[in-house]
Amino acid sequence: MNDTFSAATYKGTKQFTQQHIATANATGFGAAADDFMERGIDLNEMLIKNKPATFFFKMNGNAMEGASIYAGDILVVDRSIKVTTGKIIVAAFNGELIVRRYQQSFNKAILSAENKRYADIVLDEFAQFAAWGVVTYVIHSF
Amino acid sequence: MIAIIDCNSFYCSCERLFRPDLSNKPVVVLSNNDGCIISRTDEAKALGIGMAGPYFTNKPLIEKHGVATFSSNYNLYGDLSWRVMETLRILIGKQHVEVYSVDEAFLFIDFVKPQELESFTLHIKNVVEMWTGIKVSIGVAPTKVLSKVANKLAKKNKIATNCIWILDTPQKIADALRATKIEDVWGIGSQYAEKLKKYHILNALDLSFKTTTWAHQHLGGVVGARLVRELKGISSISMKDELINKKMIATTRMFGEAVNTLQPIKEAVATYASRAAEKLRRQYAAASYIGVFLVAKQNDYNATYKRGNTISSYTILPQATSQTQHFIKAAVTLAERMYVPGTTYKKAGVTLSNIVPDNAIQGNLFAAPQENNNRLLMDVIDSINASQRNDILKFAASGTNRDWKMRQELRSPKYTTRWEDLLELK
Repeated sequence: MNDTFSAATYKGTKQFTQQHIATANATGFGAAADDFMERGIDLNEMLIKNKPATFFFKMNGNAMEGASIYAGDILVVDRSIKVTTGKIIVAAFNGELIVRRYQQSFNKAILSAENKRYADIVLDEFAQFAAWGVVTYVIHSF
Repeated sequence: MIAIIDCNSFYCSCERLFRPDLSNKPVVVLSNNDGCIISRTDEAKALGIGMAGPYFTNKPLIEKHGVATFSSNYNLYGDLSWRVMETLRILIGKQHVEVYSVDEAFLFIDFVKPQELESFTLHIKNVVEMWTGIKVSIGVAPTKVLSKVANKLAKKNKIATNCIWILDTPQKIADALRATKIEDVWGIGSQYAEKLKKYHILNALDLSFKTTTWAHQHLGGVVGARLVRELKGISSISMKDELINKKMIATTRMFGEAVNTLQPIKEAVATYASRAAEKLRRQYAAASYIGVFLVAKQNDYNATYKRGNTISSYTILPQATSQTQHFIKAAVTLAERMYVPGTTYKKAGVTLSNIVPDNAIQGNLFAAPQENNNRLLMDVIDSINASQRNDILKFAASGTNRDWKMRQELRSPKYTTRWEDLLELK
């Protein structure tokens, strides 16, 4: 079901018009490069595949350092992607939103951190759990 | 067929999306200035908390049950509203979607086969919930008014209906109309409801038996006749053109604290004028009418007030404009003229009218043509304010410390529109 509509690609926000070509109305000799001006690269095109379903969060904590998600990083989360085993997800667990890797085997599901100091969270029938969205990108500043 | 899709307890659902600890707990959202309750979850309704009731009368109940209470966070609700509507546009094409309000949209779904209506609406509901996290109810019927009836029934018993109710046979329509009280019919206000009850019209079915001629006479002319025709299953309210530009723009707020001096009132109307001008520019328009009104506190106004405690005045500008400074100048002058010393005011507002597209401003023979160059300045201010935070750049007339500003003590972060407000996850 969800795969049917994944083609809703977000085309970015940047406008590009004649006015953005610096030398378009040059009174002297127009630069030959004018004919080859493009809109330029828009990061939104890459990071946002489905705009109405994409949300941003900030990582706070070291639970996912093994997956190269560090405190202060920006998480790009897409709710329209199906949660399947192995995906890093945002999960509502016991009333809190957390980031973990979702792993499902034939008889159980767990949320695992990528940091030895954190124990796995077993999702039994007593756990208050709901998948919130799938982490698709992380923006890290060096 | 026409479907209306309506977000369940929309403002509360927006708050809950980022607060999983509040799922299944009672939540209420307060109006501007924290005056009234404007959104309640089912759990809050079950506690007996009234809709649109003043906050303070419900406060004991709210505190007793620990109801989560929020000031309205329109940045968040606006963003999530856009997401819901955009999802619908992506799903069925924008030509089939008519946004009716912040949390409602009509879907024109004649292209769906009758036997597939149920699976189609269920699919829409599931996708909207998955993508945006907002739960919705859908009513389907041959007309807009009937789809509203269906939607009410879907919401009434969420578990039995799974929030979807389809009126696709004459029998189902009749049953639904019988179950709908006359005052719950879309478009019937409380006054008309009282009037209709005198004619022994107690539910929507009774009304649907009336002729359109009767409705024309007794129910406000064309509008009433159209309503009855819709109840009979004849589609009479067409799909609106997309994005009809507003004919009038108003910005009005209660003051956080009542004020009795001129300066804060001038600052308030200057701020409202800037906000209204911003809305005007957002639809690429210009206006030449600016009106200002002041509302005095009850029992604190003198005889100069002709209509209750509200006083209003307006100016026609020589030429339509979209520039904030022109509106501020006019608004402040009007406020100065209207202000009566010794009166305490609780509310003010600015309205803009005579709206024209800003590329078709008519010249005035007696006024020098205005350079629209300042439009560039306005664009810069607008985009800085939109990308940083509201009012980071503003006209000095709006004042710097605003005691009169809205009270919004319990507002949640702007999770989806500000970098600094992003929710932090562990």
